[in-house]
Amino acid sequence: MNKTVLQEVRESEFLKEKYYYLKHHSGLDIYVFPKNLTTTYALFGTKYGSIDNKFSTQDGEIIEVPDGIAHFLEHKMFEDEEGIDTFARYAKTGASANAYTSRGMTAYLFSCTDNFSSSLEILLDSVTSPYFTPENVKKEQGIIGQEIGMYDDNPRNRLYYGLLSALYESHPVRIDICGTVSTIAKITDKILYHCYNTFYNLSNMALSVCGNVTPEEILAVADKVLKPQEPVEITRFYPKEKPTVFRKRAERRMQVAKPLFSIGIKDTDISKDAAERAKKGIIIRILNNMLYGKTSAFYNELYEQGLITPSFGYFNDISESYAFNMITGESPNPDEVYRRFVHYIDDLQKNGLDREAFDRCHRVELAEFVKIFDSTEEIANVLLSLAFAGVEIFEYADIINSITFEDVTRVFHSCYNPEYYAMSVIIPIDEQ
Amino acid sequence: MQVLERGCKKYHNIAKINEKLDNLYSASIFPRNYIRGEAQILGFAAEILDNEYAPDGTDILSGAVEMIGELLLNPLLDESGKAFNEGYVSSEKANLIDAIRAKINNKNSYAVFRCREEMCKDEAYGISETGKVEDVLPITPASLYEYYCDILSHSKIEIYYVGKCDERVLCDKLASLFATLYRGPVREVQTLVVRTVDSVKNIVEEQPVVQGKLCLGFRSGMTLRDKNFHVFAMLNEIYGGSVSSKLFKNVREKLSLCYYCYSIPESHKGVMIVTSGIENANREISEKEILAQLDSIRTGDISEEEMENARRSLENAYLEITDSAASVESWYFSRSLAGRSESPAEFAKRLASVTREEIITAARGVVLDTVYFMLGTAKTGDEEDE
Repeated sequence: MNKTVLQEVRESEFLKEKYYYLKHHSGLDIYVFPKNLTTTYALFGTKYGSIDNKFSTQDGEIIEVPDGIAHFLEHKMFEDEEGIDTFARYAKTGASANAYTSRGMTAYLFSCTDNFSSSLEILLDSVTSPYFTPENVKKEQGIIGQEIGMYDDNPRNRLYYGLLSALYESHPVRIDICGTVSTIAKITDKILYHCYNTFYNLSNMALSVCGNVTPEEILAVADKVLKPQEPVEITRFYPKEKPTVFRKRAERRMQVAKPLFSIGIKDTDISKDAAERAKKGIIIRILNNMLYGKTSAFYNELYEQGLITPSFGYFNDISESYAFNMITGESPNPDEVYRRFVHYIDDLQKNGLDREAFDRCHRVELAEFVKIFDSTEEIANVLLSLAFAGVEIFEYADIINSITFEDVTRVFHSCYNPEYYAMSVIIPIDEQ
Repeated sequence: MQVLERGCKKYHNIAKINEKLDNLYSASIFPRNYIRGEAQILGFAAEILDNEYAPDGTDILSGAVEMIGELLLNPLLDESGKAFNEGYVSSEKANLIDAIRAKINNKNSYAVFRCREEMCKDEAYGISETGKVEDVLPITPASLYEYYCDILSHSKIEIYYVGKCDERVLCDKLASLFATLYRGPVREVQTLVVRTVDSVKNIVEEQPVVQGKLCLGFRSGMTLRDKNFHVFAMLNEIYGGSVSSKLFKNVREKLSLCYYCYSIPESHKGVMIVTSGIENANREISEKEILAQLDSIRTGDISEEEMENARRSLENAYLEITDSAASVESWYFSRSLAGRSESPAEFAKRLASVTREEIITAARGVVLDTVYFMLGTAKTGDEEDE
């Protein structure tokens, strides 16, 4: 009996690549990207991350859960009813397994060079078999407590969350993915089951596999392990944020050699359309490279004057409920960097962006996208995150191509406004 | 390398270099500076798209070879022609000193760095790839240029390419690039391997952090020059190399003492460091447990399952290497330094014959040298920023 509801082949002439999209009868979306490399990479994820702390299902009741629970749940999925941890099961196939939690998703993964089907069976089975008890929750609180302690001592982590909590007043993007020692102390086996039953419904999940595999192999395992489920309708509640920043500045003293800074730009103008959001994300990246990349006047001037160091970088993120952009680095004088940043942007908004720089950075963006297709790990990761973002991977290349200088100019004027800027700094403990 | 990366005769500054690289479809060229045993490895690496992906027919490979040649062989000099550009040298000196001082920012790696430094205080291996502040300060544009010329003429040079271009074409390009380079007698770098320890060093340092960091530095006694190095690879894997290892299963999962606890093997100097982040109060119990797990291997407590798990996990890791150009380069370069040339698959095959007795013997050869503990003096950090 064929248990697949739908099978589609998607091809890209430009990349000379193709993959399969399958809708399994259990409700799961499956992406299979055949690639003739030694390593096969599989990723099983749920659209559930640290920001999903208030939600309801079709039953109606609105639930609020402790900060850090998605990450806690990820840790707890590595143990089954017999107390055997999932790593011990993978040890028999030789696959290398791991998991991660981000703001918007949780993913379980393995890479292997042999025994693919047995490893996939472990992946699907372990993630669909929860086992939480008061005792094993308590044990994990000890381990995660040390994980939190490690991040608390990390100045870059503190800098980052300092910035997010200055940009946002109440959106959960401002909380640490791991939560804090006091929030995870509130987690119980009962709350874990509730979150699990909501977000680990197969209709809220996806499987992506890349490597020397066929859709048939994967379906054989999926048919064996996955039972059909009633889809769940999840409503997520996020507080409404005003467009301006919550606080202009966050500051903390830590054991660092030189001050660290991040300047963030908050963006609340987010489209409901997934392709539009993806397009905006790409525009911001091209713009970042034009404004702050190694060819930019900003980078070169500040570098030559010793105001920034080789550690300078930039990063942006856009999702359905929040978006921000940031530049970050080390500087003897973060306030001077901020002043120069404001002046630089102001100047460019008056005088216009450089069309030649756009052409070059546009080309770079396309090349960076093509590089993804060298690695099974990257392909599987990008397939899954784009699936959750609602964008098809080959269409993504078309979106990059479609972006014009005018698009970039328009976004540059709408996103940059001093009321949307905040700065986070870490100051050396012994500095006056 | 940082000075060379700032600018060369043809591309004077960072902006000019990167404009050229962007136009080569976002080619990236980065300086390399790292340690293998007691050898320091300097150079440039380029990551580029294959020519077939350039829609307008740009010859990306030739462009990258040209750029590496310019950066490496035609640096920007002052009027005398015997010293680097003064502005670049002084600003990169400042950046290097910053980088050395900033090692403390990341406490996990800083603890490992300090353990290694204390353990090999009297050996070249105790100096990291970035060196020491007091050695950076006296550098001048002329002394740096002299050092640069010396390396180019007397150090061993190796070139690696991983990709699908025509190798004769590439070799011709490289040959003409280096045709005029003066080469004198080539120096060999030897690494001193220490196998015995007189007395264990105990180092405790206070830092204003929440979590304590415990590092145990061992002399493993085995390096890639040993025929049996694959036995040490198995030992490390069973002891602390993976999530099925004794350290992970016991120190983390059973005793819930930490989030991370693993061993870092080293293949040229014969050193192994176990690292962990723990609550300050758990220092003694953690140290005892880490040592007890090694002892259990020495006394033969290794199950058939642990052997099999370690073998499969290593085989998988070695076979995955061939998918990444950077890993392939690193694998063969490391082999070449030790006078070996086997492929990851060939090395993986040798694991099947490793016996429990060989692992026990190898574990008995591992000796504790240094215990480093970073004592955290800060309270927990739940509070919000100001």
